[in-house]
Amino acid sequence: MDVELREIRDFLSSHPPYNVLPDQLLDQLPARMHLRYFRRGTTIVELNKPNNSLFILRSGAVDVYREGRDLVERADPGTSFGTSSVLSHTPSKYRIVAIEDSLVLVMPGDVFQYLLNKVSEFADYFNTANSTVMKRAVAQLENDTSGRIILKTRVSDLLKREPITASENITIRQAAKLMTEHKVSALLIAEGTKIRGIVTDRDLRSKVVAADLSREEPITAIMTRNPVTIPRNALAFEAMLEMLGRGVHHLPVVDDDKLIGLVSSGDLMRLETANPVFLVGDITKQSSPEGLAKVSSRLPMLVAQLIDQDASASEIHRLVTAVSDATIHRLLQLAEAEQGAPPVPYEWLVLGSQGRYEHGLGSDQDHVLLLDDAATAEDDPYFATLAEYVTAGMEACGYPRCTGGVMATNPRWRQTAKAWHGDFQHWMGEPDSAAVLHAQIFFDFRSVHGGSARADALRDTIRKLAPKSPRFLGHLAAQAVERQPPIGFFRGFVVERGGRPQATFDLKSAVHCVVELVRVISLANSVSAVNTVERLRSVSAAGAMTADSESSLLDAFELITYLRLRHQARQVSAGIPPDNLVSPDDLSSLEKKHLRDAFGIIKRAQAGFAYRYQTHLMS
Amino acid sequence: MWFSSQSWRQVTQEIPDGPIRRYVVDPKPDPATPLTEAKMLAVDLETTGLDPKTDQILSIGFVPLDGLDINLAGAGRMLVRPTGGVGDSARIHGLTDDALADARAPEAALDLLFTALQGRVLLAHHAAIETGFLGMTCNAIHGFRPRFTVVDTLSLQFRLLSQGFDDEPPQGSLRLWNARSQYGLPRYAAHDALTDALACGELYLAQVAELQAKSLRQLTLKAVLKY
Repeated sequence: MDVELREIRDFLSSHPPYNVLPDQLLDQLPARMHLRYFRRGTTIVELNKPNNSLFILRSGAVDVYREGRDLVERADPGTSFGTSSVLSHTPSKYRIVAIEDSLVLVMPGDVFQYLLNKVSEFADYFNTANSTVMKRAVAQLENDTSGRIILKTRVSDLLKREPITASENITIRQAAKLMTEHKVSALLIAEGTKIRGIVTDRDLRSKVVAADLSREEPITAIMTRNPVTIPRNALAFEAMLEMLGRGVHHLPVVDDDKLIGLVSSGDLMRLETANPVFLVGDITKQSSPEGLAKVSSRLPMLVAQLIDQDASASEIHRLVTAVSDATIHRLLQLAEAEQGAPPVPYEWLVLGSQGRYEHGLGSDQDHVLLLDDAATAEDDPYFATLAEYVTAGMEACGYPRCTGGVMATNPRWRQTAKAWHGDFQHWMGEPDSAAVLHAQIFFDFRSVHGGSARADALRDTIRKLAPKSPRFLGHLAAQAVERQPPIGFFRGFVVERGGRPQATFDLKSAVHCVVELVRVISLANSVSAVNTVERLRSVSAAGAMTADSESSLLDAFELITYLRLRHQARQVSAGIPPDNLVSPDDLSSLEKKHLRDAFGIIKRAQAGFAYRYQTHLMS
Repeated sequence: MWFSSQSWRQVTQEIPDGPIRRYVVDPKPDPATPLTEAKMLAVDLETTGLDPKTDQILSIGFVPLDGLDINLAGAGRMLVRPTGGVGDSARIHGLTDDALADARAPEAALDLLFTALQGRVLLAHHAAIETGFLGMTCNAIHGFRPRFTVVDTLSLQFRLLSQGFDDEPPQGSLRLWNARSQYGLPRYAAHDALTDALACGELYLAQVAELQAKSLRQLTLKAVLKY
């Protein structure tokens, strides 16, 4: 007798995770199941009652309430529910109600358990606590392909041997001999593991041979003192940017100031060269804002290309940020060339997403000027002109002006280091919630021009004061919690808390859920990093977050930021200005499921961490 | 006809032992049984035409319901070997003479069906087709027609749509697939006896939910039986 229930088999095979089941299991599955019908308004699973079945919505719609109150999911046909009580063998923590007349497939708990044991890919789907699920989602989005090694490789991976070093008291002749012996094009001059200088083939040619200098002179006569170094965990492409930007071919590699090796441009050339690097190279060569605008117009297509090449969101953000940093840097050089040298030293600070190395397409400008304390009111016209030059130049390059006026063109945000210290102390010491909301992005500052001594000092002040400012942290935490991720998706709509469906959802808002949360935890724990991923690693290393939370938040953040970049890249390819509003129709059902998991991870983290700081304030 | 010449007792004594005899002699389901406990078998036949006297059964699909739970483990579909060719209806059901070569003899098919029907109410959409063809086939083999206890989803649909209206339900609204769409039940691409039996079973669940919502007391079999 034929027992094939083809309609039900086909239904199951078209919905995850049943689509991963092997045919043989899928063929047998329908005959292990039951069908029940629930009239609209009736309860399918009671709160706090045992439940030993997995339900799969066949038709209709159901709402899932946590503890019977909080709507956590509005389920479309194909959605599985009742899983947690089956898996944990505990009474249901959810009340599940049919909101339309619903036909439901019922899988007995033992059959479900059998499938979980038999097919690990199937089990992964239900295991949201396990971050390997999200990792796999991210990996699926970023299928490994070649052609982007430079974006994947760390500087430390390029180090093949111990650095060839010599002390400061050797002669030029001895240095040349050492370099020949070891067949290297550069020699590091160091005391112990502390780098003092570097000598290259080029120095020997230009400073010794061409200048007819005696070989018996000390090496200190020709070496470059205190050369630019690169940290061991920097990406290879960052090393290349550094070389291009400074016109050098060697970079000593350090691990916390400790010299551990050397990378050369040759090392990098041997990696496959990705185009982004040349874009930055081209930016540094431009001699006018018009030229910069022309070169910058290549950026959106480049991001689209990188998405195609399956670069990760964090890599692409770093690249886009490197391009915007280079553009500002170049504009400032051009402005100084036009206006003459600045009357006092200054540092140009970028804030917000650019400060965090998370600049995306269409991100606006956020920047301020940090002036030397010697600056007076008479110096301001110079910096006003400088700021307008850079801001207009950036605008022409496709970075819109900040609508909130947080730009160096605003006189309020052109001030001395002393005044900045005062502002930050005020924000942390006497916070009112509106001021703190406004000031949040200032805490993500980073200097891109003029050195970073003053910015570093400012950061030290913040690191000292922030952990001792419970009211300030409380306000930040309250804001971080207020920003709620959506619940999920239903019939092509986004279900927001409160149940009102939206046609699109704001990926930027979802990104900021993570950014704001991680910022407050970092500030509370004296973390100096500004990049969200680095902040997460630091708070976890400091013991302020479990490794599990860290890794699931990292994955959630990567997923959301990746989908945002992909959305923007698609818009750019279609000739539409990039925005942050994505429609559920643009996402696959698996992406929707993973996003829903990511929202869940964020919500749990919000509940766990932000509340901790908020209670200081409210009590 | 058996009732004109013989008593029911005499008939049952003459039926050979087997699933059909057991179905006939076992007590019929109690009309006082709550619907949450009533056992049914949704049945659909595919036939060469609509007239039991001249047409034949091509396939039988069935799905059991235990109360208001469709148990897919008991679902089945079998092809029945017709005497003669398939003719025009092959176009409707996609059953060709070739496929039917694997089919069962009507006698064996009836035995299987009545085994599944044991202790259950026969549930069908427009059940006259099922009872007519099953009765006629049984009569041809064993010389009598069994009495079926029947629930008909078409009659139930007529009742549900007629309540509160003087008019009859709109034409076509009683057809299985139209009736289902009124409850938001899924559309099925396939059209075979098993799918239709399942479709009928699902429709029944929706109808009972609707009837129960309109009733103050718990419904029993009596409320849905077709007499």
